Amino acid sequence: MKAKTWRRRLVPYLLIAPAIVYLALFFAYPMYEGLMLAVYDDDALLPVRDTPTLAGREVAKLPQGEALRVLDRQSQEMSGGEATELLTEQWFRVRAEGATGAAVQGWVPESRVRVREESATGVPQAGTVRPRLGESADPLTDVYADASDQSRVVGKLEQRAPVAIAEVAVLEVWFLVQSADDPGKAAGWAPSRYLQVFDDGEAGRVHRGTSGEFTTAFIERMFDDRFFGPALRTTLLIMVVLIPLQLVVALVMALVIHARIRFSSGFLYAFSLPIGMSDLAVGILFFSIFTGNGLLNSILDSLGIIDGPFAFLTAETTNWIIFAIVLAELWRATSIVMVILVAGLQAIPDETLEAAELFGASYWQRVRHIMLPLLRPSIQVALILRTILAFQVFAVVIALSGGDVVTVLANESFRQYSDLRNNNVASAYALFILVLSIASAIFYLRSVRAESEVRTS
Amino acid sequence: MSRSSAADTSTTLPPLDSPEVQAMHRRMRRRSGRGRIYTYAAAVALAAWILLPIYFLFSMAFTTQETVRSYPKNVLPFIPFSADTMLFFLESEGVLRGLWNSVVVAVITLLLSTLISVPAGYAIARYLFRGRDLFRLSVLAVRAFPIVVLSIPLAVLFLRAGVFDSLYSLALMHTALALPTSILVISSVFASVPYELEEAGQVFGATPLQSFRHIIVPLVLPGIAASSLFTFVLSWNEVFAAAVLTLENRTLPALLLTSLANSPDAFQFAGSFFLMVPSIIFMFFIRRYLFNMWGQVSK
Repeated sequence: MKAKTWRRRLVPYLLIAPAIVYLALFFAYPMYEGLMLAVYDDDALLPVRDTPTLAGREVAKLPQGEALRVLDRQSQEMSGGEATELLTEQWFRVRAEGATGAAVQGWVPESRVRVREESATGVPQAGTVRPRLGESADPLTDVYADASDQSRVVGKLEQRAPVAIAEVAVLEVWFLVQSADDPGKAAGWAPSRYLQVFDDGEAGRVHRGTSGEFTTAFIERMFDDRFFGPALRTTLLIMVVLIPLQLVVALVMALVIHARIRFSSGFLYAFSLPIGMSDLAVGILFFSIFTGNGLLNSILDSLGIIDGPFAFLTAETTNWIIFAIVLAELWRATSIVMVILVAGLQAIPDETLEAAELFGASYWQRVRHIMLPLLRPSIQVALILRTILAFQVFAVVIALSGGDVVTVLANESFRQYSDLRNNNVASAYALFILVLSIASAIFYLRSVRAESEVRTS
Repeated sequence: MSRSSAADTSTTLPPLDSPEVQAMHRRMRRRSGRGRIYTYAAAVALAAWILLPIYFLFSMAFTTQETVRSYPKNVLPFIPFSADTMLFFLESEGVLRGLWNSVVVAVITLLLSTLISVPAGYAIARYLFRGRDLFRLSVLAVRAFPIVVLSIPLAVLFLRAGVFDSLYSLALMHTALALPTSILVISSVFASVPYELEEAGQVFGATPLQSFRHIIVPLVLPGIAASSLFTFVLSWNEVFAAAVLTLENRTLPALLLTSLANSPDAFQFAGSFFLMVPSIIFMFFIRRYLFNMWGQVSK
């Protein structure tokens, strides 16, 4: 019996488990990743090591972009990972007659062998030892036990001696580097894929690091972005103009529905049509109205108000673009506010309103002194919802302005991601939108609560 | 009338057919009649504000391309009807594929989110368990989070996992967006069916599962269908994540958005017609559940 109740208590948790797992996987985790993208630089620091292997001890960390002096180079077997931009060197395992006349087998770097024969697939098969130039140069070529010039020398080859190539190893070049600006820092080895080397292998810079650090660099770059100011200004402007207007129109709609006139359900259907509509489609819809040969110009022209089309949507008429955006958003998103308000009105008991009517309150007085105060929680929810959504206005803006002339925060996040391929700054924008949304929600909750406390005290 | 009776209780009431009372009646009727007229005027004006732009766009989607380019256009009802624009749109490269992609993503989203949110919604509506309010609240909070914040890290993660530019990964994202609303709506649908009905079934000898199957399911099915429709439309409309997460496999909104700069007006108008149609049909079917869906956020 006890086991049964215990199992029964588990049922609701089992029922909500899929939803929790799903939201954790596809909501909470990406949200966390997004946060990290904005404030954590994966490529910030490059550790350099005391030996040219990944097993080497870390002697220093050099920041991304640091100027370097290159002191030495050496090849190492590749450590795996994606092979972009890495400098490689081939080593050949050769068999040949050594300088002493005995057979020699071992490794030589590709720089010492001229390949003469290749297989059909381009694999080197045989070659000759390159002669060394210069008077003082050692005419003999060392053969190593392993594919590294740090390993034991197993023999020497005469110049131009023919060699058979038994095996090819592709090695990555490592550089011994030291910070050029701060020579006090210890010099260390780093693989070529993280460096850019120039000036005949004398100098270079850290291309990207392998270990991350927290940074405000992306957020600073967002603030310095030339589109940041206009985007923030336009977003706030749209909000300030749109939301009060929307509240008024939605209230009128809600009162009309609440008046229970004839065809009320038809009107409700018409008013709520935009709820399910794509913001992109609505953007294009208002583009069709405001564009040069659009509906508005046609009507104004036929009424004789203007002579020839007026260009509303150009770089010179940004105020008209913002006006069109506000109208489009008013058209699109007022319905949701209306639904919330109608639900709020339905919760007001009919008796309350009848009593007010009985005491001679006019319609306007009933709206002002009974409905509006009782609607306060609904209005609060609607305001929070609308403000959060207003920060995300995106497709409407692109459809009406092309995304350059007039821009908003969400659009900048998209631009950083898709045009500039900068996920970090794009996430910084997204984070900024999130912070603004949370801040405004808290602001509404606080201000409404403060007001009601004043009232009750 | 009420005012007169309140004022005159001390003295005798005037008879109901007296001239004063009749005048008062007339005044009230006239006032409420005038109020009615204002209400109707507001209703018609607001309906026109919503419907006329839709009508204009649809007439642009079904006319000749010359009409779309022409200026000045005839005022509304006199735009010639033709399938020219629509055919041009449908025959453009990538459009049919985009439409199909949109359908695939929306259907997967619908199935996945309904499958996950039905048990969760049932749990919220029927069980009192520790953490229930926390779960409800976090679902509400999730719904308020900006889509923009979610899309870019998901794109990075999908890219890392090698499932970038896939319709399935986009559907996964859309499901995450739709789940919160879907859970809350379905829980309100379950809550509207009294538990006593389920109990009654068991009293008459049905197992809990049988009574659920034969009593509850038929009652909640329309509401769940409405919520699924909503999910479909949400996915059909969603543009930001679709544009971020796909490259070759564009859905219709992503295709429209990325070709805005270099496509003719006729293409855009016909495209937005396709974007709007599902939502118009959807609103018709879910009228009854409108307040279930959005009204309850205020509770």
